Amino acid sequence: MATEGEVKTSEDAPPTGKVSTRFDLEKETELRFEVEAGEAAEQVELELLTGMAEVFGSELNRNKKYTFGPGSKIAVFTWQGCSVNLYGKPEVAYVSKDTPMLLYLNTHAALEQMRKQAERDNERGPRVMVVGPTDVGKSTVCRLLLSYAVRVGRRPTLVELDVGQSGVSVPGTVSALCIERPADVEEGFSVQAPLVYHFGSTTPGTNIKLYNKLTSRLAEVFSQRCEVNRKASVGGCIINTCGWVKGSGYQALVHCASAFEVDVVLVLDHERLYNELKRDLPHFVRVVLLPKSGGVVERSKECRRDARDEKIREYFYGFRGVSFYPFSFEVRFSDVRIYKIGAPSIPDSCLPLGMSQDDTQLKMVPVTPGRDLTYHVLSVSSAEDGEEGARKDIVESPVCGFIVVTNVDTQTQVMKVLSPSPRPLPRHTLLIMDIRFMDMK
Amino acid sequence: MADQNKPDSGAKFFSEILSPSELFAARSRSHKIPVRGQKDFFPNDSDEQRRRLEQSLDEHWSLISEERVEKLGNLVKATWIPSEQRVELQSPAGKFWQTMGFSANGKQHLLPEEALYLMECGNLQVFYRDLPLSIQDGYERFLSSSTVSLQQYQVFGHLKRLGYVVHRFDPSSVPSSYARQLNLPPSRDRAGKQLKRKRSASPTLTSGRTEVQDESTAVRMEEDECDEEKDKKLLESHLTSSPGTSGTQTAAQSSADEDGSRTWWMTDVLRDRSDPRSASGCTHWDFGSIPFPDLGSSGHHSSSLSPPDPSLLPGSLAVGACDVAPWRRRINLREVKMSSKEQTRDKDKHRWDINRDREVRRCRNWAEYRELLARREGKRKGRPAHLWNREVTPLHDPTRPITTEELLDKISVTESTHLLEGASRLKASDEWRICFNVYQPDTVADFKKSSPGKPYSRMCVCSFDGPVPDLRAVKLLAFQSGDVPVVFAVVDHGDISFYTFKDFQLPTDVQP
Repeated sequence: MATEGEVKTSEDAPPTGKVSTRFDLEKETELRFEVEAGEAAEQVELELLTGMAEVFGSELNRNKKYTFGPGSKIAVFTWQGCSVNLYGKPEVAYVSKDTPMLLYLNTHAALEQMRKQAERDNERGPRVMVVGPTDVGKSTVCRLLLSYAVRVGRRPTLVELDVGQSGVSVPGTVSALCIERPADVEEGFSVQAPLVYHFGSTTPGTNIKLYNKLTSRLAEVFSQRCEVNRKASVGGCIINTCGWVKGSGYQALVHCASAFEVDVVLVLDHERLYNELKRDLPHFVRVVLLPKSGGVVERSKECRRDARDEKIREYFYGFRGVSFYPFSFEVRFSDVRIYKIGAPSIPDSCLPLGMSQDDTQLKMVPVTPGRDLTYHVLSVSSAEDGEEGARKDIVESPVCGFIVVTNVDTQTQVMKVLSPSPRPLPRHTLLIMDIRFMDMK
Repeated sequence: MADQNKPDSGAKFFSEILSPSELFAARSRSHKIPVRGQKDFFPNDSDEQRRRLEQSLDEHWSLISEERVEKLGNLVKATWIPSEQRVELQSPAGKFWQTMGFSANGKQHLLPEEALYLMECGNLQVFYRDLPLSIQDGYERFLSSSTVSLQQYQVFGHLKRLGYVVHRFDPSSVPSSYARQLNLPPSRDRAGKQLKRKRSASPTLTSGRTEVQDESTAVRMEEDECDEEKDKKLLESHLTSSPGTSGTQTAAQSSADEDGSRTWWMTDVLRDRSDPRSASGCTHWDFGSIPFPDLGSSGHHSSSLSPPDPSLLPGSLAVGACDVAPWRRRINLREVKMSSKEQTRDKDKHRWDINRDREVRRCRNWAEYRELLARREGKRKGRPAHLWNREVTPLHDPTRPITTEELLDKISVTESTHLLEGASRLKASDEWRICFNVYQPDTVADFKKSSPGKPYSRMCVCSFDGPVPDLRAVKLLAFQSGDVPVVFAVVDHGDISFYTFKDFQLPTDVQP
């Protein structure tokens, strides 16, 4: 089925030496390939020769070369059959007949039916929560469903609650994004005017109270948007969640379902979670169990860390680090106020009378700038400067951007920051994240 | 040779020549304006009060009827051009040119209020159809609805006599807060500025005040209601949708923002307002007719899915039936590893299906379900139902301890507002507007009309009979004025009082 050979003669041939492999895919099969991770790894290019094919819901253009960088894990699916060429040496590349795409497509069809009904009856569209343990392809299913929805003319909203691997903004945030066109095959969804809230850590467990609060806030804002935008209301939303499905993580899922008033919960490959949710969610919520794709690979801790780093780099330098040119300038300590959300927990006996531990989790704790601030990512809160009284609103204010501290000079009370826009900072309230980023590429 | 300008004898104007003794008398006459003294607010029918009144009136009459004696050589000659509502100078201007007037088309011009003031000072003689105008003529001709009102002129004259430099206010000359933040130079060249002065709208009200007011208050009420609703949204949209202007979202977003089409709050055609609740949580799906490929619900459905309707699929895809059975066998059934702590918590909770509860089964949507939960929560906590189950509930739940500061925040029901808060969204009204820019007297020495700098304050002229400016007007003017304080000059038949509103914060006893 696969034919190998050096391409030398045709005029649109890649630089000599790149191996080209041709794959002929039958109807409803997919080609899975992985690009080697690491600095030195070679990029792999993909070209559709005949037929039609899609990558996670976005259709491929014929005779266009798509480039995939190190660490990419791609599945090219075809409904009707096609042939594609791969240039370069992928780590793995094989054709699989065994894909749950048909189930996912049926899921989309059911959701679309709900949207149609919503449109007809002047109601709101389906709100879908995708849950499951880590590495079952939650984000991919979200991307798939969103792309399909956009392709039939809907305007769904992606709500990204996965603070570890955010698909929208930098890690450590929760966000919402209106989807207006299918995801780009290489870059994913175009990130324009997202609504981003600061969480500050890569796992919801560090401050579950804040996590739930932000979930509620996003739900509130999304509902407000639905009030003013009929199309968004009909489009509904697809909520991507964290892979933490035990204990507080599970409670957070139930809370999210309630906050967003979800209609459908898609459980990926986890029967126990499916049964638990059936039990703990009211009967009018449809809980659906779906299999994971065989192509999903488990990611190591390092791999996740690299993906996070890459996401922050992308924020400052653009996709593949070539489109944006960030600024570096100095900020005086006296000009900004830096806070951390959530005070360290104290024994109950030390608390003031009548105070419970929960109150500390949403508290704004001023951070004295020091050398340990170096490399931390800071969110620039959009809360208005100046008002001390509005301090607690900062938690619930969206973020207008991020900066990274690259150097701290305690002598002159100045820190150097990496920022996507030139000085001055638009606001002077900064929220510190646990996440660090070293700008070393 | 001297000339007199008597308000009531225009005909004898040129024929009168003063004798030397009369000239001396005129020169040595006291130039003081009589002091008015304390004002009585209430007639008490006493002789003393009547005498005082008469005396004061006499003084004023004699002041007005006094002959004004000026040297003809000291008078600047000018012509009144009614079509353009301005005065053109015929002879070189005097010292006043430093702070007044403007040039256009190579000629020197004065605004009507400036001309009238200079006439009153004895610096200017204005001709109309080759006849000199008396001061009374000046009042009649120069003050009109298209130039300045009498009240505005009174304020103007009052400030001028005190030495201030007073210019008409031009709203377009105020830099935006953004420009101020960046410290941009005001965008005007010399000529442009002067043209602006000429063109600046007259500060006079043109519409009947009472009518406008009634109408506008009604409109305002409606707007206020809307404003409150929109308030939050607008705030957020302002912040989130404009990362380009506020600076730190990625460049891709800022470029997208320029075309203004992609914002989080972009609205489309609003659905008809008659059914506002429909989109908020009353949905009821019939999942019997919506076929989800659910692997969990074995037994209920057949093992193969019928092909979906192609009209629901992207690109009108047509696919066949899907066999679910092999997937069912492959689903992850592994036990979740739980720590001992989690296990005990699980047991403690004694979990059971919430849907076995009949009350839960009766709920049709989230709103009803939540209400049920809230009701139960309330019951469990044993809060007195007569307090908590009505529309009006206590401000604070005593079982939920909060800090003193938050509590104080909660009970201060009327929240303090800043003068500029929300002002940018107010629509400009005709009722209140700023009339004059005022510059301090000590700047006169190096004052430049082309670049007057930042005014000391801005004047809004209003009458004692008129309404007091409401919060909306104060906010609006404060916003228009930017960082320059707005002063309200209140005219009471010639008496002028100045008032200004200042931002301040109530002190709080508790420090966070």
